[in-house]
Amino acid sequence: MDRDAFERRLGVLLAVIAGLLGVLALRLWQVQIVQGEYYLRLSEENRLRVTPIAAPRGLIVDRRGRPLVENRPAFTVAVLPTEFRHPDGEIPVLSRILGVDPAEVARKLNEARARPFAPVPLRRDVPKEVVAAVEESRIDLPGVVVEAEPVREYPYHELAAHLLGYVGEVSEQDLRAFPHAGYQPGDLVGKAGVERAYDQYLRGQNGEIQAEVDAQGRVVRNLGMVPAVPGDTVVLGVDLTVQQAAEAALGDRRGAVVALDPRNGAIVALVSHPSFDPNLFAAGIPASAWTRLVRDPGQPLLDRALQAGYPTGSVFKVVTASAALDLGIVRPDTQFYSPGYYQVGGWTFHEWKALGHVDFIDAIAQSCDACFYELSRRLGADRLAEYAHRYGLGRPTGVDLPGEDPGLIPTPAWKERRFRRPWYVGDTLNMGIGQGYVLATPLQVARMMAAVANGGDLVTPHVATEIRAPGGRVVARIAPPPGGEVRLSPEALAVLRTGLRAVVTRGTAAAIQIPGLPVAGKTGTAEAPHGKPYAWFAGYAPADAPRLVVVAVVENAGFGAEFAAPIVQRVMEAAFGLSPAGDPRP
Amino acid sequence: MSAAVARRLLRNVDVVLVATTFALVAFGLVMVYSTTRAGPRPLAFVHSQLLHLAAGVAVGLVILAVDYRVFARGAKWLYLANLVLLAAVLVLGRTSLGAQRWISLGPLGQFQPSEFAKLAIVLTLAKHLSDRPGPYESLRDLLPFLVHTAIPVVLIFRQPDLGTALVYGAILVGMLYAAGARQRDIALLGLGAGALSPLLWHLLHDYQRRRLLVFLDPSLDPQGAGYGLIQSKIAVGSGMLWGKGLFEGTQNVLRFVPEHHTDFIFSVVGEELGFVGAMVLLGLFLLWIARGVRIAALARDRFGALSAVGIVSMVAFHVFVNIGMTVGIMPITGIPLPFISYGGSALMTMLWATAVLVNIGMRQRKILF
Repeated sequence: MDRDAFERRLGVLLAVIAGLLGVLALRLWQVQIVQGEYYLRLSEENRLRVTPIAAPRGLIVDRRGRPLVENRPAFTVAVLPTEFRHPDGEIPVLSRILGVDPAEVARKLNEARARPFAPVPLRRDVPKEVVAAVEESRIDLPGVVVEAEPVREYPYHELAAHLLGYVGEVSEQDLRAFPHAGYQPGDLVGKAGVERAYDQYLRGQNGEIQAEVDAQGRVVRNLGMVPAVPGDTVVLGVDLTVQQAAEAALGDRRGAVVALDPRNGAIVALVSHPSFDPNLFAAGIPASAWTRLVRDPGQPLLDRALQAGYPTGSVFKVVTASAALDLGIVRPDTQFYSPGYYQVGGWTFHEWKALGHVDFIDAIAQSCDACFYELSRRLGADRLAEYAHRYGLGRPTGVDLPGEDPGLIPTPAWKERRFRRPWYVGDTLNMGIGQGYVLATPLQVARMMAAVANGGDLVTPHVATEIRAPGGRVVARIAPPPGGEVRLSPEALAVLRTGLRAVVTRGTAAAIQIPGLPVAGKTGTAEAPHGKPYAWFAGYAPADAPRLVVVAVVENAGFGAEFAAPIVQRVMEAAFGLSPAGDPRP
Repeated sequence: MSAAVARRLLRNVDVVLVATTFALVAFGLVMVYSTTRAGPRPLAFVHSQLLHLAAGVAVGLVILAVDYRVFARGAKWLYLANLVLLAAVLVLGRTSLGAQRWISLGPLGQFQPSEFAKLAIVLTLAKHLSDRPGPYESLRDLLPFLVHTAIPVVLIFRQPDLGTALVYGAILVGMLYAAGARQRDIALLGLGAGALSPLLWHLLHDYQRRRLLVFLDPSLDPQGAGYGLIQSKIAVGSGMLWGKGLFEGTQNVLRFVPEHHTDFIFSVVGEELGFVGAMVLLGLFLLWIARGVRIAALARDRFGALSAVGIVSMVAFHVFVNIGMTVGIMPITGIPLPFISYGGSALMTMLWATAVLVNIGMRQRKILF
């Protein structure tokens, strides 16, 4: 094509574009000049009000669809700042009817100054009498509205409270930290547990009503509405029956229980005690109740299953045994002699019982400290630490719950940095039996046992397994890939599993026989900073093809075999349908 | 580069185009401030927009420093890199549900490859059209260019981003026409796209379908998807001749107009600055486009001329569809208003496109004295 033809076509192109812009200009003339008066009237003459429609939060259900968290219809009294023109007169009346401190009302109104058109919730879940009182005083209270807003309900109260979490008004930090998450001041959001971790799915999307109101703030007519989109349902791997059994088995004692599926990391039960009732938070927790929870020496808000590192005691021998077997330091028939103490460098380490001559399998089964002191000394701290890291200890498991504690696996270099003191051989011996500086969460221990049970995969523990839209369509499946591999020789693993089975058949935990269900595991009795030792048991079943790992820890109780192993037994009986009350699963 | 050459290049900088561009950008910053100043940090959005402006100008200067034909030489790589980026959105976007047009860059924020892709397609298509200069005597001769454009469009449609995909159609048609394709063949392409639309319909999200249906018949859903459209028209119309005054708009403060700082920013222009302000803005766009067409006419080679046409087509289509949507004569498709809407990727793309235009003008065939 020649240049002239090209320039002709450019002329046509420019003319077409100019024509299109001309169409826009004509349309703007029509809308702004011809119909301008009409639109101006629509925008100004009537008072327009936009009120949000609270989206019902999504449900949280257990693996068989039984709801663990629901919503209950309720009313919220809120104030529209633009229509609330006589605060000095209205606030006292309002705070008397609602039973809210006048200073609190003033503070909330002040915080909402940046968004004068959004209603400010003053009190949620108000009783019917209060709703009636507000409606009666309507003429004295312009700008006060009563909105239907569902309230969160936790039908099982303290059950699984740490796992489920609770809701609260979005904090200023959250608003600043996630400016694009769509949170508005006054919104209820998840603050802990699943409520927080899956808030983006659970919260849904608020709708709004746009209405024309008269001078008294009465709605003349609704102009438009965007319906609320209810939140998605979060399906957990938790089995309510197993959870209930675990809660009952732990009882009033302080401690934690974790049950998970070693094949995929799905958490089947997660208990932390003392607990709290998330219903307290559902409509905004009163300051006094909050102070009580925070000041309680039992720390009920702390999730002991994953937010606290405990000394593990002999449960750690799983790591020591793995290292010694994998590095060829010990064989199943290696003979040990325990006189009831162990001497090194002029120090004497006592143990719980003089076992005499034992082989390695019995050393595991009887939890022979002297035998493991000897192995630890030969392995050294750095190799012990390496195998502990391989089992995922000393770092978060990546569970889908907030606030996880990484635990602690000490090394000589760490001690030097932290305390400016050298590492002694005694530190190595303590480490090899899970004492001294070693700290791990029950969840980390559960994952370690899962790796033993499944042949070496470090599964990623997760409470949620599926997200479903309100209609039931699956929005997302949650199946996090394993966080790594332990990389243990198959022979070493086989010997270890033989030893863990012997713990239950003839060792320290021989008391917890379950007919028809071969269990393997390891007891632990960890010296506590104050009071009696922490009792541990970490086990899996069936021993030959494990489908469930259960870990229990009881604070200041005594022997693991006596206080923790029976808890694990009851959880397993419930999970495998062997208890009188249960039915068969999983 | 000798001093004489440098002087000649500088003399050929289209000062009017540059000035118009900065006038548009300034206009945009004021409107972004007007629409986002409510809240605890009134300058947060303007600040982000200024950062992207600085990045856009800096890279724009680099573009001016090299001869634009470098894009012709690197066209193959540009095309491939572009496809990789678009595919990356599909893969990486999958993890963050519902936000698949974006790739997160951590602290640097997010960027939207489909914006940059528009410019990449203009340049690579211009190269392709100058490698196969025609004459194009049948629809078959146009097929390679159709495929060239269709591959990225398919990737974008998977996201799915209807508006951006349509922009590619406009770019293709504008460039094919300027390149000398027969009008009959271009018309046939349009018919073909129309025949494909039932299939495209199937690929759209529900909300996109609702928006299109509402455009065809607003009474269909006056309380749902029609809501934004009605509010936008009220905002624009209530501005009347002179507007309610800068920062005096009420519709957007009331949150009645959705996405008022991005796609619907023009409804605030109309409300606050009235018909007069809207005409000033349209005038600036027309001037910008006319200068772009002039550069196409003066360009020293086919690649430069067709690149200029592609850039002009892109901007013109954005302006028409975006403003048309706020006054109810175009469907709601989610296309930003060039230089004005809040959004870093779009602003930078437009600035770079302007830099390419100026570059082509600097190295034009006639030396003007």
